[in-house]
Amino acid sequence: MSPLFARTPVRRTRDGRFRLHLEPHERDLLRQLGPQLSALLDQPDQPGLARLFPPAYSDPAHSTHEEEYRRLMREDLVAGHREALETLAATAGAVDLSEQQLLGWARALNSVRLVLGTLLDVSEDDEHRDPASAEEAIYGWLSGLLGCAIDAMAGET
Amino acid sequence: MPTAAPVEIGLPETTELIATDLPWKVLVWNDPINLMTYVTFVLQKLFGYDHERAHRLMLDVHLKGRAVVSHGQREKAELDVFRLHEHGLWATMEHDS
Repeated sequence: MSPLFARTPVRRTRDGRFRLHLEPHERDLLRQLGPQLSALLDQPDQPGLARLFPPAYSDPAHSTHEEEYRRLMREDLVAGHREALETLAATAGAVDLSEQQLLGWARALNSVRLVLGTLLDVSEDDEHRDPASAEEAIYGWLSGLLGCAIDAMAGET
Repeated sequence: MPTAAPVEIGLPETTELIATDLPWKVLVWNDPINLMTYVTFVLQKLFGYDHERAHRLMLDVHLKGRAVVSHGQREKAELDVFRLHEHGLWATMEHDS
């Protein structure tokens, strides 16, 4: 388990639900993340959002297909991200979650990590980053929480 | 009558069993943000792969930079790419030449 947590923050219960052990200030943070990223999604040209909307076609020769993909799928993709973020915000205070809700958490936490990681310029070479910044602390904590949520769903806790 | 020596049949890897005449392949690319356990989990969930297969594909992504995770006609491949994008993975599709 991540040393960021005094106890496993997500644990599968016998009835197939997931018990949350989070501090009130941690729940407050989770509650704020959804609306913040949701607001960003309204501004499609935000550079931090690039990782949420990667190109679908590897080959530039397929630019017509790519344009069609963007035109037809972008809205659904935004709606999907938004739905996960809303689940996170709406259930941040919950005692326990269904698997479907926890999956929403995982997707939302990962979306926030992708945006935050892009803004922090996370790469294989991390020497240029400032480990003391608040954003780094949040990024690290979100990574730990996501890892615990995945372990719980994969049956490892 | 001589007993035939047992012949070891080299079964191809399951990933190679997928028909190669399908025109598109879907790739997942390495990125420094997505957690390895998350990538494995998403591949299991979206494609129904068992943990071993999903884990092996994730390692290919991590170590070789990319892995082919599915094949299909264009519509099917595009839907796979979309579902991977929904889960924040860096996926693209290209012709299976």
